[in-house]
Amino acid sequence: MEITTTDLGLAARVQHLTKTYGAGAAAVRALDDVTIGIRRGEFTAIMGPSGSGKSTLMHIMAGLDAPTDGRVWIGDTDITGLSDLELTILRRRRVGFVFQAFNLVPTLDAIGNILLPFDLDGRTPSAIERARIDGLVESLGLSARLRHRPHELSGGQQQRVAIARALATAPDLLFADEPTGNLDSRSSREVLALLAAASREHGQSIAMVTHDPVAAAYADRVVFLGDGRIVADKPRQTAEQISAHMLAAEVAA
Amino acid sequence: MSAVTAVPTRRMPAGLARLDWLRERGMGATVLVAAISTAFGVLLISATGYIGAQLQAIPFYGSSDTLALIIGMLGMLLLAVAIYVAAIVTANTFSTIVAGRTRRIALMRLIGASARGQRAEVARQGLTVGALGALLGLIGGTVIMLASVPLLDRLTMGAPYTVVQPALLAPAVAVTLTTWAAAWAGSRRVLGVTPLQALGGSVEQTHEDVVRRPGRNIATVVLGVIGVALLVGGILLGMVVPLGVIVAFFGGLFSFTALVLAAPAVMPPLLRLTGRMFGRSATARLAAQNALRYPERSSRMAIGVVMGVALVTMFAVAAESVKVLVTASGGGAPDPAFEQMIDSFAAVMMALVAVSAVIAAVGLVNLLTIGVVQRRRELGLLRALGLTAAQVRRMVLLEAAHVTITALLFGLVLGTAYGWIGAQSLLGSVPMPPAWSAPTFIAPGVPWLTVGVVVAATAALTLLAAVVPTRLATRVAPVEALAE
Repeated sequence: MEITTTDLGLAARVQHLTKTYGAGAAAVRALDDVTIGIRRGEFTAIMGPSGSGKSTLMHIMAGLDAPTDGRVWIGDTDITGLSDLELTILRRRRVGFVFQAFNLVPTLDAIGNILLPFDLDGRTPSAIERARIDGLVESLGLSARLRHRPHELSGGQQQRVAIARALATAPDLLFADEPTGNLDSRSSREVLALLAAASREHGQSIAMVTHDPVAAAYADRVVFLGDGRIVADKPRQTAEQISAHMLAAEVAA
Repeated sequence: MSAVTAVPTRRMPAGLARLDWLRERGMGATVLVAAISTAFGVLLISATGYIGAQLQAIPFYGSSDTLALIIGMLGMLLLAVAIYVAAIVTANTFSTIVAGRTRRIALMRLIGASARGQRAEVARQGLTVGALGALLGLIGGTVIMLASVPLLDRLTMGAPYTVVQPALLAPAVAVTLTTWAAAWAGSRRVLGVTPLQALGGSVEQTHEDVVRRPGRNIATVVLGVIGVALLVGGILLGMVVPLGVIVAFFGGLFSFTALVLAAPAVMPPLLRLTGRMFGRSATARLAAQNALRYPERSSRMAIGVVMGVALVTMFAVAAESVKVLVTASGGGAPDPAFEQMIDSFAAVMMALVAVSAVIAAVGLVNLLTIGVVQRRRELGLLRALGLTAAQVRRMVLLEAAHVTITALLFGLVLGTAYGWIGAQSLLGSVPMPPAWSAPTFIAPGVPWLTVGVVVAATAALTLLAAVVPTRLATRVAPVEALAE
């Protein structure tokens, strides 16, 4: 019997993952034989400079993009061979997303955006889910903003709505792609503290892609990527340690 | 090193590069609209000229120009309607194009271009595509006419008629100028673009509020009241003399103009009402929101289709009502030859006003397509969050259905009213054989066959309008759209 992702204590994992763009002499290898697992209940940061392949890794892990080679599991589901429809439904039910910007559907108000994954599924949240959403709205300080459209919200508020939406379905894994990239430092700290709290207090598994050492310092584990390979995998680090590591990698390159 | 190298850079001669904007989505549709209206004008002028020449050739008839004059006036009116619908479509197209260009315009403003200069550039592009379309339409219309004359000559007395004449330039010039003016009118938004919008991070303003214009509202109400009063007056006067139809005609003109002006206020609630029909599913609600995202744009778009449907229905209902009226006044079924004549006249008129409906349809397809293209990132987000390809397809189709169903119902109601009023005000006072009873008052005669054809055509338009945008929308890969 094969060992499952759950047996390993992982929320998601990739094995021998390779992603190549283009063909022939112009081919670019964005990911080069990457094997990694995102541990359940942990807040993992994936660090790396621009072009290191960290966004590609996240997109493939989240079922948004297909690998050239290798396998991907979300929970115990091998998603490598899934059809577009199966992937879409998997994302809808088991994965949460927080992007850098344009996270919200502009025509829906805040609560409409939060409930979107349920609506797309054609169902209303159960009593337990409802209680969970109410709790999220409360703790994210969105109670007074539920009827506001995205353009009526500040950047920080928009990201908080996105976090509420991502957590509403209690996903196996939450992917955050530079979630603080467009925020001022105060809103950034708020958003990162919220993500860390979701992981610490509710055991939410989170994978966050970032190039900001301050953001990565909120994570339980920091994985460093460079030129499509994993170059280091470390437990919680301070922003100074992360910066030092990045700088060293830069000098070496 | 990764993404940048993937973009192919093609070298182009400087002259061609300057015409690059012609390939922008929406420009092609504008050329098509200008070409259709010009060709329509050329054909109308040629056809009326040809009929005039044939009438002149009939002995004892040649001295009377009245019939030729009436046909000529009718032709002008039809052309005016077509050009009017074309102008609405073009203004809408340009305002949508400008919305999509906001970032580029902002960048130009940042570098130092003036807002007026930027707007003038958009208008100049309107002039260019208008002229291009008019030229194509002029050539196309003339070629069709040149090919038809030998065929027509076999049916008529074959009096000599020269197709190519300076008068054909008139519709081409008119269309070019209206396209220019419409592009200017549609580019008002350019003035509101600030240089700051070029900088990253500014929140995209993806919805627009209906602008309140008190002066316009007063004019709308006044026109509407006058129009309705004239329509009612026309019916009443029509019970006494046939001249009532002229009063009613102006009533129709005034009331419809009022409706066009009031469209941004009248259409959104109707669109919302249609949206209720589609239920409360996520796709239906997203589609409903999309249809109302730019209320002015959707309203003007819908009003074009309303106009087409109303005009076609009007002639059909008028013909049917005339038959009902003649039957009621005469106390029996009318002469089959008379019915035949009425039907043929109505059929010709319906075919002629259908051109306006086609122009409105081109506008609708175009608007939906640009709308989807400009929403790429949002579609990517929705796909990432779990909107399936089938749901995307349903969403776009419902979005089209919003506009077409609303416009269809509204157009049918209006057309029935106008057609009935036309027939009633023209013939209400006229006694018919054999009973000779007058005045006669009837309920509208509804030609169900024509209504069925209009409904089927609208359904076809909805599907057609959704094809291209759906293909573009389902092709959006989440990653690609989110990376923009």
